[in-house]
Amino acid sequence: MAQRAAVARRLPLRDRIGSITSGTLAWIYAALLVIPFYYFIVSSFKTNEEIFESPLSLPTTFDFSNFTTAIQQADLGLAVANSALTTVAALVLTLLLALPASFALARARGRAGKIVESVFALGFLIPSFAALFPTFLLAAALGLFHTRTFVIFLLPATALPLSIVILTSFMRTIPRELEEAASMDGASSLQVLRQVYLPICVPGIATVLLLNFLSFWNAYLYPLILIGPDTAQRTIQVALPTLKVDAGTDYGVLMAGTLFTLLPVYLVYTVLQRQMQRALLSGAVKG
Amino acid sequence: MTALIDGRPNAVGDGKTAAPRTRRRGTVRDRFPGLALPALIWYAVFMIGPVVAMFVIAFLSWPGMLTTPTPAGLDNFARVFADETFWTATLNSAIQIVVGLPIMIGLAFLLAFYVVQKPRGHRVLRYLLFIPALISAPATAMVFYAMLNPDGLVNGFLRPLGLEGNEWLADPTTALGAIIAVELWSGIGYSAVLIASRLDGVETEIVQAARLDGANDWRLAWRMYWPIARDFIGVVAMLQFLSMLFNSAQTVLLLTQGGPENATTTLAYLIYRKAFVETDLGYSQAVGVVLFVIGLLGMWAIRRTLRATH
Repeated sequence: MAQRAAVARRLPLRDRIGSITSGTLAWIYAALLVIPFYYFIVSSFKTNEEIFESPLSLPTTFDFSNFTTAIQQADLGLAVANSALTTVAALVLTLLLALPASFALARARGRAGKIVESVFALGFLIPSFAALFPTFLLAAALGLFHTRTFVIFLLPATALPLSIVILTSFMRTIPRELEEAASMDGASSLQVLRQVYLPICVPGIATVLLLNFLSFWNAYLYPLILIGPDTAQRTIQVALPTLKVDAGTDYGVLMAGTLFTLLPVYLVYTVLQRQMQRALLSGAVKG
Repeated sequence: MTALIDGRPNAVGDGKTAAPRTRRRGTVRDRFPGLALPALIWYAVFMIGPVVAMFVIAFLSWPGMLTTPTPAGLDNFARVFADETFWTATLNSAIQIVVGLPIMIGLAFLLAFYVVQKPRGHRVLRYLLFIPALISAPATAMVFYAMLNPDGLVNGFLRPLGLEGNEWLADPTTALGAIIAVELWSGIGYSAVLIASRLDGVETEIVQAARLDGANDWRLAWRMYWPIARDFIGVVAMLQFLSMLFNSAQTVLLLTQGGPENATTTLAYLIYRKAFVETDLGYSQAVGVVLFVIGLLGMWAIRRTLRATH
């Protein structure tokens, strides 16, 4: 590393144009990432007038009234509870479906297993967004329209392809001898899954959980269409945009609401930064 | 492949009686991985089912939720292709992808190239690049809504410089650009960390050798790293292509509702509007089918352009 930096430093300016260009771009982009953050965090402590007059100045007082207004106005407390309930239930359901499936696919030797696996591997081709209306009909047909329950059922289906691909590749690394030893001791398939595979797959499970936590917590269109505007049921992502009013948005309140929405995600990101980054990386690499 | 290699010999070890039993169990297992069934059914009902239904509804005349649908043949497609709004939306989607995608992938590659050289502050940079991937579409849209409004941060920057501010989201000439900017803001970082994860695997010896041969950074980036990572960049480009084609409708819905004057109506947003605002369901799903085909063609095109060359 140090060696490489040394080589780079010895080069004449002409040869470093690439680095300088990409470096400048990188830090400009970094600034473009940070400034909106700074802006909306300071804005959440200000009034409209203060935001318009001096957008980048620090707030004069750390007044949390924007937060209380946002929480009351859009029922954000209840919305967070709904989001948490939906996310956790959908995560549990995803694992209950994906773990046995991945276990079966990792052990399968026949052609059927290959076909099932490719069905899931091609899952990213499904334009679920275009099929939003039929999904809505399905909710109505099941009598679950305008309920969180349907979204809890639906979200795992959206996450299955990626979860199964990741977990299957993890389970493939487990030597077959381990399983065969266990079956000879009279263990059933599910016991083998629970006692042999699960403990070894913990990192894979963590990846799947983090990845799906992000996508479930951040889901917007499905909850919007399928749960609807009912404050008792709606999730945080649906509640947040209601703070934007066509005539006279209170930007301080809107930004306070946005900050409130992001807190759980940042909390998890700060605590589990490495795992989260790994999860996000494998999320696309495998897909 | 592995099934051919590690075959059956393990079963032989425990004597004659066990061998046939193991084989019988083996063949059952070969026929179908039963534990995958619940997930498969779940997936078929909630994901594949609606897509199949989309193809059916596209051939039905269904002018409102409460009316009974009747077969319509190709009428919906005829209506779609005769509709000026559809062509506006197609043009908007095309601009969004033809302009947005190359910029996103090109910048993401340069960023990734910079980060893997491990310059000072690369850890901070990597941390920051992940930020957009964590934020939901509504939260991103609300932040940009606050920045792009007439009294917002962007105009606040421009006015002191003597430049005229603008109502970015309400001006038909800048609204689509603003939507693309939001997409770029959130897409570049994640694409960059993905590409960087691939570039990290490039062996330092090759890089050192090239440097000693006098290759400058620009050549190093485009002649060495790009070809090596080309097929992987293709995968990232496909992901971002699909996300722009479909998911950007969320940003449109949150920021402009397709306006002003259809300036930001993309194909994906048109599907949404026809289904849930105008309840012209046959039309909506016919556009869905068109978009599905465009999606496949686009992926094929990206694959051809960024195919591995070695």
